Amino acid sequence: MITSLANWILTFDILSGMGSSVAWGLSLFVVAALIFVFVAVNAIVLVYIERKVSAFMQVRLGPMRVGKFGTLQTVADALKLLQKEDIIPKMADKVLFIVGPWVILVASVVTFAAIPFSDTLLAANMNIGLYYIVSISSIVVLGIVMAGWASNNKWSLYGAMRSAAQIISYEIPVGITLIAVVAVVGSLNLQTIIEAQGGTGNLFYWIPIPLPNWFIFHNPFLFIAAFVYLIGATAEINRTPFDIPESESELVAGFMTEFSGLRWALFFLSEYANATLVAFLVAIVFLGGWQSPFADYEGTQIGFSIITLVAIMWTLFVRTKTGRLSVYPLGLSFVITIAVWLFPGFAIWLASPGIFWMLMKVGTIIFLLMWFRWTFPRLRVDQLMYVSWKVILPLSLINLMGVAIWMWLTGEIQF
Amino acid sequence: MSYFSNISSAITTLVDGMKVTMGYFVRPREHVTLQYPDEVWPIPTRNIGVGEIDSYNTIRSKLVVDFEDCIGCKACERACPVDCINIETFKAGPEEDIGTTKNDTKIKLRVTSFTIDMSECMFCDLCTHPCPEDCIHMTPDYQFISNDNVKLDVTPEERWRDRDHLIYQFSKVSPEEREQRAAEAAKVAAAKAAAMEAKKAAAEKAAAAKASAEQAALDEAAREASVVEVTQSAASMPITPPAPIGSSPQSTPLTDAISGPAPDIISVQDTTPPDDTVEKLNIPMETITSPEVSEEKPVATETTVEPEKSTDTEDSSTGETENG
Ligand code: SF4
Ligand code: SF4
Repeated sequence: MITSLANWILTFDILSGMGSSVAWGLSLFVVAALIFVFVAVNAIVLVYIERKVSAFMQVRLGPMRVGKFGTLQTVADALKLLQKEDIIPKMADKVLFIVGPWVILVASVVTFAAIPFSDTLLAANMNIGLYYIVSISSIVVLGIVMAGWASNNKWSLYGAMRSAAQIISYEIPVGITLIAVVAVVGSLNLQTIIEAQGGTGNLFYWIPIPLPNWFIFHNPFLFIAAFVYLIGATAEINRTPFDIPESESELVAGFMTEFSGLRWALFFLSEYANATLVAFLVAIVFLGGWQSPFADYEGTQIGFSIITLVAIMWTLFVRTKTGRLSVYPLGLSFVITIAVWLFPGFAIWLASPGIFWMLMKVGTIIFLLMWFRWTFPRLRVDQLMYVSWKVILPLSLINLMGVAIWMWLTGEIQF
Repeated sequence: MSYFSNISSAITTLVDGMKVTMGYFVRPREHVTLQYPDEVWPIPTRNIGVGEIDSYNTIRSKLVVDFEDCIGCKACERACPVDCINIETFKAGPEEDIGTTKNDTKIKLRVTSFTIDMSECMFCDLCTHPCPEDCIHMTPDYQFISNDNVKLDVTPEERWRDRDHLIYQFSKVSPEEREQRAAEAAKVAAAKAAAMEAKKAAAEKAAAAKASAEQAALDEAAREASVVEVTQSAASMPITPPAPIGSSPQSTPLTDAISGPAPDIISVQDTTPPDDTVEKLNIPMETITSPEVSEEKPVATETTVEPEKSTDTEDSSTGETENG
């Protein structure tokens, strides 16, 4: 993307006077700014959605008063945070206190450089993309420890120490589950990983249900690995039920207790950037990234017809079970099915890979993360370690072996 | 094996929990949120009236004074346990006609300032019952939020409190008129003082003429004063006085039964027959419900000693607020 942007800049007559390296640097800057804007807007939108989702799950309404249905609430909050006084506690370590939030933010924003939004839209097509993302996102823990230590507050320090312990523990199973995928594809390049999931295939290779050839459907061990990764990644980004570093009820707000205003906003920005990153990784590695779930034009029509049938059955089931008639999923799928049958162009667009499918998958995963957050209670510290070292880690190791054996059985790799 | 059963039970319970939250998420909005300024809870209605004012059917909330009916008697100010009512009155001239209340009572005092500090008011409703004109009353309006930042007329001592908008001014008298009234009252007071001075000077001149007679009169007065003091202390002593002469034998068990100022009343009025004593006993019961009786009673006993004390309000021609 950077190179193509640089080439595009050089096509203008006025700008062609500048050297190609200058154009490259300029487009580098533009892409970096775009990524940062994406992260910032993403955080604002996600905070709003999260508040709404949590409210609906708790039979509340959520923000309602700023803008229609409170849509501008997070914008107003962001503006408020920008205006706030910049407070640095007297006894805090000033340098670390200032640097800490930025380290966290940079570590989480920089990872987006390697994320492919679609088959053409990505900042840097790295051959070690997965490795890069996993390693860079671990720097976040450095920033957290800095912030916790600099605050000169026992709660903050506790939060930081817990965070360090937690992230280090969960890096291992997360890494191993990703290695299982890398073993299947034979590449660390995210584009290659996505391309390997194109087309349709049988569920778990042998069960004759035609499904997209995503890794989650490809292999029962990768199916488990997807959930292991999701759990481990949830713990890594300190989201509930693994949010013991910032557990409000015990540690006030953990490592961000002493932060306010803009610095606190940076924490939030990076928190949601991290959540999005995890969602992107799950979508890329297990759900086929920007690949469409439908193989072609006819596949789209048949697929949506099946979805409508399922929706009808589901509606009838709900009607007999609870006596309530929920028409929205049925109506939506019905409308899309009719549109798909009437307009072939729409069906072709749906069947083609693109950023739409990527964002759909990412949105689903983010919703899943929110669903986790507003359902599960927080784990105790020892339970957290138990889950990591005694459940998730053995499971991921077994998975790695299982994946290898499965590959050998299905003949996808030969020795 | 318990390892795998642990994992499976964890998964099933987690899925159970997620089902619950998803059920709430997709359900048609059965939210419990009350969108406050647009929707409000219905105000409960209950009878807080006592005695004749039983039509007084509202919750205890914001106080309102029907200012046209206020005669400035300050009964509410005296009743308030937290002293948050502040009334300033000036006596009207004898030929002036300020008007009458809805009960056809002639208003004799100009109320130039009538403030209630709503931030101190505890909504006890004690001020409404003593009002002889039923003009101070509670309304069901519990919302004290307002957009207008009008600074009300409060004394400078109260300005440090940043809640001026909670000090409610009910008087319709403008600040200019208030100043004018104060100046007039001050003038009247000065004139009175000058007259007093002249009178005093005249009296002194006359007194100098008969100094020996004055000495005798002074002795007489001193003797009288000591007698008055003794009776006064007996009346105002809060604890049971040392065995008053002539107290009826029934009074001892009765004083045990009642706590408070009532025993003094009984023991001082030693001439009252037993039946009357029993009647008097009902007074403390009433004091629980209405405060004016408890306010009035010590005054009633003291009237015999110092009659000018009860007319304090009427004589306030100095132009200053009593309760600053
Ligand atoms: S309600 Fe009670 S506290 Fe409030 S002004 Fe009346 S007597 Fe005072
Ligand atoms: S008791 Fe009633 S009439 Fe008397 S000053 Fe208060 S409000 Fe006015």
